[in-house]
Amino acid sequence: MPKLSSRLQVPGLGFLAGAVALVSCAPASQAQRQADASVERGRRLVGQFACGSCHQIPGVLGADGTVGPPLRGLARRSAIAGLLDNTPENLTSFIRLPQSVVKGGVMPDMGLTEAEAADAAAYLLSRS
Amino acid sequence: MADQGDTRGEHRRRRLADGAACYLAGVVTVIALGLAIVATGAFDVSASAPHIRVVGWALRTTMVNSVKARAEPLPLEAPLDPAQVRAGFRIYDRECAPCHGGPGVPRDRWVSGLIPTPPYLIDASRRWTPGELFWIVRHGVKMTAMPAWCVQRSDAELKSVTAFLVALPALTPEAYARLRAAEAAPPAAEAPPPSSC
Repeated sequence: MPKLSSRLQVPGLGFLAGAVALVSCAPASQAQRQADASVERGRRLVGQFACGSCHQIPGVLGADGTVGPPLRGLARRSAIAGLLDNTPENLTSFIRLPQSVVKGGVMPDMGLTEAEAADAAAYLLSRS
Repeated sequence: MADQGDTRGEHRRRRLADGAACYLAGVVTVIALGLAIVATGAFDVSASAPHIRVVGWALRTTMVNSVKARAEPLPLEAPLDPAQVRAGFRIYDRECAPCHGGPGVPRDRWVSGLIPTPPYLIDASRRWTPGELFWIVRHGVKMTAMPAWCVQRSDAELKSVTAFLVALPALTPEAYARLRAAEAAPPAAEAPPPSSC
C-alpha cells in the first residue's frame, strides 16, 4: 500500500508544480525576456557610445572616466543630474537629450534614438 | 649500492623525458589551435558585435602597456602657452573632434560603429602623461581607427594638439564654443611639412 500511494504522489506533485509554474511564470518570463533583451542591447550601446570615457560603470571594460559622476548604484540614487526624479523615463530622456536638462553641460546630445536611450537606461539601472 | 644509484638516475632521466614530451605537446596544441582560428574563420571580425571580454581586455591592456613602454617624457609645464593651446584647438576641432568629441560636443554617430570606439578625451590628460599623448597622436594605434598623424602633421603641430589635450579638462563647454566662434575664419598661414616619422 505505501508503495502504491508514493507512486501516485510523485507524478501528481510533479504535475501540480508544473501547472503552477506554467500559470505563474509564463507571462512573467515573457516580460522578463524582453527586459533582459533591453538590458543586453543597453550594455552594447553603453560600450559603443563610449559612456565609459567620462563615467565609471561597473561591468564595462575600461569605463573609468572622471568627467561625469560614477554610475555604480544608479538605481538607488534619488535624482538624475541633481534635477530629475530618478525614474526610467527621466533617465531615458536625459540620456537622449542631456543638453535640454543641463544646458551648456559637458555631456553632449549624442544622437541616440528614444529606443536606444531606453535600452541604455535599462542597462545602467540594472547595475548594482 | 651502485645498482640502486643507476635505477635512480634512469628514473630521473625518464621523468625529464616525460616532462619534455608534455611541454612539446602543449606547445604543439597551442600552435595548432592558433592556426585553426586563423584558417577556419572562427574569429568574428565584425565591428557590429563587441569583443568577448577576455579579448577586449587583452587588446586594451596590450595597447596601454605598449604606449607606456615607448613614450618619452614631453615637458609641458603648468602655465601652458595660450597661443600653442589655440593652435592645438584649431587642429583638434577640425581633425580630432569628429571621432573624439569635446566638452558639450558629440562625436559623429557613425563613430559608435568602430571597435574599439574612440573615447572622449576630456580627462585623457589625467590618465596619460603629455609624452604618452604625444606618442599616441604621432604614431597612432594599430588595429584601431587612430592614424599616425605624423603622416599629415609636423611635430610642432602635434605638440600643440598635446598642449590642447592638457588644457582640455579645465575647458568648459562655453569656452570651447567661444574658441570655435573665434576661430571660425579659416587659417591663412601655410602648414609646415609633416614630421614623416
